[in-house]
Amino acid sequence: MKKSFLIIFLFVLNFENPGFAHGVGFREISLKAVPLEFFYSTGDKMSYCEAKIFSPKDSKFAAQTSRTDERGRVAFIPDVSGDWRVIVNDGQGHQCEAKINITEEFLKNENKIMNIKKNSPELFIRALLGVSLIFNLALLIRIKKNSSLLTPNP
Amino acid sequence: MHISEGVLSTQILIAGWAGTCAGVALGLKKTKDYKIVRTALLSSAFFLASLVNIRIGPSSTHLSFIAPMGLILGWGAFPAIFVALLLQAVLFQFGGFIVLGANTLAMASPALFVYLIFGKIIRNSQKKFNVMIFSFIAGFLAVILAASIVGVFLGLTDKNFLTAIKLLFIAHVPLALVEGLATAFLISWLKKAAPEFLF
Repeated sequence: MKKSFLIIFLFVLNFENPGFAHGVGFREISLKAVPLEFFYSTGDKMSYCEAKIFSPKDSKFAAQTSRTDERGRVAFIPDVSGDWRVIVNDGQGHQCEAKINITEEFLKNENKIMNIKKNSPELFIRALLGVSLIFNLALLIRIKKNSSLLTPNP
Repeated sequence: MHISEGVLSTQILIAGWAGTCAGVALGLKKTKDYKIVRTALLSSAFFLASLVNIRIGPSSTHLSFIAPMGLILGWGAFPAIFVALLLQAVLFQFGGFIVLGANTLAMASPALFVYLIFGKIIRNSQKKFNVMIFSFIAGFLAVILAASIVGVFLGLTDKNFLTAIKLLFIAHVPLALVEGLATAFLISWLKKAAPEFLF
């Protein structure tokens, strides 16, 4: 009786903890990855920064969490078509987001790959826009402070 | 020196916004008409300075112009730095919106501090050497103070940040020296070429 209970117990234990029976291994695969390089506006690489990769299927939880290498590079292997987002953050206030459109052709390993969408204009234009906004704001404050500028002198 | 989004605790974020709102309101009230254009000019310089990197040893950093902003603008440094940081967050993704209050407070308070301590001394100083020395100390202190405030914010959020705070502080000493030199040359030149800028 006791023996049969012991056998049943061990049997159940084996089912409950599949980890006991599992080993680990690896094999080489030939899937096409999307390698990206992240850098600062000065040309310096964003080395060893946290990289979060979001699949088009789930925009809230990262499909992959990784780090850039010394040269600011990170890669991912897409499994569905659509817009993939890669967000790299250096933890010191600098964050870069890349949106990559993966096409069906890319997944079929054809040459037509993908379109990297540029969400925002070039750095120079952004800098110019910023300076312009500051001066426009200053003008607005000046006009508001000195309302006589709005009303013609009698 | 920007603090990232999602790092600071809610209490620090609220305190940062409270301090920044008060500073910006006072700054706007105290900024006289003739200072508005120079406020915009220095705000633009601060906004663009983050794009110009300076290599110090193995790492690199960028100038902030905290002390010149304080010495030239006084209370006006608060709105100037707030607008510049806001646009850096929008256009360059530096820092963030929720943490903007804490970042503004960390950088504008040292500007105001050096204005209150050194502003009058520099204005009344006749000797170029004295102007340079006081401006250098102001520039050096402003960066050290800003790094210290960031350190205090991080330390109050989580004690595990202590190592990061030490590294942050050490990394800012060379920048403080560079800023001190830049402030010394800029202010002494302004004192000679356009002294009305310091009034």
